Amino acid sequence: MPFEIKINGTDHTVDVDGDIPLLWVLRDVLGMTGTKFGCGKALCGACTVHLNGNAVRSCVFPIGSIGDSAITTIEAVGATPAGQKVQKAWLDLEVIQCGYCQPGQIMSAAALLASNPNPTDSDIDAAMSGNICRCGTYPRIREAIKQAAQGSQPAEQGG
Amino acid sequence: MLLERRDPQTGHSDNAAREGGLSRRTFLAAGAAAGGGLLLSFSLPSLFSPVRADPAGSFAPDAFILIDRDGLVTLSIPQVEMGQGTFTSCPMLVAEELEVDLEQVRVAQAPPSDKLYTNPLVGFQVTGGSTSIRAFFQPLRQAGATARTMLIAAAAATWAADASTCRAEKGEVIHVPTGRKLTYGALADKAAKLTPPDKVALKDPKDFKLIGTSPKRLDTPDKVNGTAVYGIDVKLPGMKFATVAACPVFGGKLKSVDDSKALAVNGVHQVVHIDDAVCVVAAHMGAANKGLAALEIEWDEGPYATLTTADIVADMEKVSEAEGVVVRNDGDAAGALTGASTKLDAIYEVPFLAHTTMEPINCTIHVRKDGCDIWVGSQVLARAQGPWPPRSPACPWSRSRSITTFSAAASGGGSKSISSLRR
Repeated sequence: MPFEIKINGTDHTVDVDGDIPLLWVLRDVLGMTGTKFGCGKALCGACTVHLNGNAVRSCVFPIGSIGDSAITTIEAVGATPAGQKVQKAWLDLEVIQCGYCQPGQIMSAAALLASNPNPTDSDIDAAMSGNICRCGTYPRIREAIKQAAQGSQPAEQGG
Repeated sequence: MLLERRDPQTGHSDNAAREGGLSRRTFLAAGAAAGGGLLLSFSLPSLFSPVRADPAGSFAPDAFILIDRDGLVTLSIPQVEMGQGTFTSCPMLVAEELEVDLEQVRVAQAPPSDKLYTNPLVGFQVTGGSTSIRAFFQPLRQAGATARTMLIAAAAATWAADASTCRAEKGEVIHVPTGRKLTYGALADKAAKLTPPDKVALKDPKDFKLIGTSPKRLDTPDKVNGTAVYGIDVKLPGMKFATVAACPVFGGKLKSVDDSKALAVNGVHQVVHIDDAVCVVAAHMGAANKGLAALEIEWDEGPYATLTTADIVADMEKVSEAEGVVVRNDGDAAGALTGASTKLDAIYEVPFLAHTTMEPINCTIHVRKDGCDIWVGSQVLARAQGPWPPRSPACPWSRSRSITTFSAAASGGGSKSISSLRR
């Protein structure tokens, strides 16, 4: 049956079963491939998007449960203040290697900073523990979140 | 810096047609590019196989540089970017010798070809074993130096000056005594008409500006905003999505399957049965997964149904006690062991490990009447093109071509994705 959903400020009508995960509507029905498929079981975090500003795993979030909630994806998170700071910090600190998990990492980090502008190390660990990085970029992810929280210029990066 | 944009609909790069139209002959010499400008290719003997240095013409070019009339340098990178940085490190090697800033370089994935893009250390086109820099450090610098030398020669001819009085810097040739300058773009046409020099001088390492530094990676911006295209992101018009249930045991077979419930799932188009797997084809992966879960499959797990890890380890232990094959025998190991004051006896074992890539193994195939296109984030580009098994008559391998994307399904596992393709 058709569902009306609001993604990145735009209304879409999609005709799929209500139990189809949001991830596949984004990627395969609407062609928004920035949100990644990793495990399909909410274990890796690659598919993280925002539902009314909160980080959710789109691979297990049924389209029928979204209702009027606003969805934000990696394609538009840069338009939010927290998302913009996070993306800048990711660039400044060269967080990325293969990059596949990073849309999810960035969405989780942006949701964290939007609700908690000055997270402690344990806040960061708690918010980011559901996002796995196969390349092991965790130390840079944590540094980038701290930089984004400060909104300051990065220290000189040697090497 | 510009990273080459691929059309997400077709996966084709902006200059794919230009690349596709080049014959091997075109690769062997500098010449006018199809769109105007200087196209430079270069050849080198493979370090791997002396056969390739055979004078019968088996020198194989490995990559090429394209400088257009605007001075934009497009570099085809034979190596795959899977997080290790080849789309930055390889361009640095060329840019260093070519005397351009990385901002002037545009990076394109080289098309698959074991002939043209052989990894000199390995003997075919492969990204792996930490060989990218070791294999291409000299060849890519040579390519940049050759282009630089030809651009300087073109400028010198324009000014009727001696080439030794000219030098290159930041995409321009400067006539040192008069301070006159010409951009690479302005020189491209003229340089294309020159014969490439047999030998060129590489820069003295003390003059390196890029090599030895850590510039920003060229692939980061697209990976931060979600626009980077990985294999799994390729979308074609009318494309279907499929998922596979394979027999859980190697060597097993499909015994029976009831697919009536799967076919009733909204969005499922087809269920395909093959010897050892069942495949659900659907409008999107959500429907395909739902269909897969609705299959009622019975497997004949075959001769290895009861084989365990303990069995395999025990078998290996047994085999290891037999006399081994002598590969090398240097010095007098037996004598040294006899006279050793301390002797260590240890057994090392590693478990069977999955590569657990973040990007699930995937590929996209467009089968046409006269061939097929394959999009895959593979570490072995050319091998993805076949040869294909005879059971795919619709897919003549000689006409298939693979198109490589960013890969996160690698980590060493990307070379194996081809075996799943073959299924």
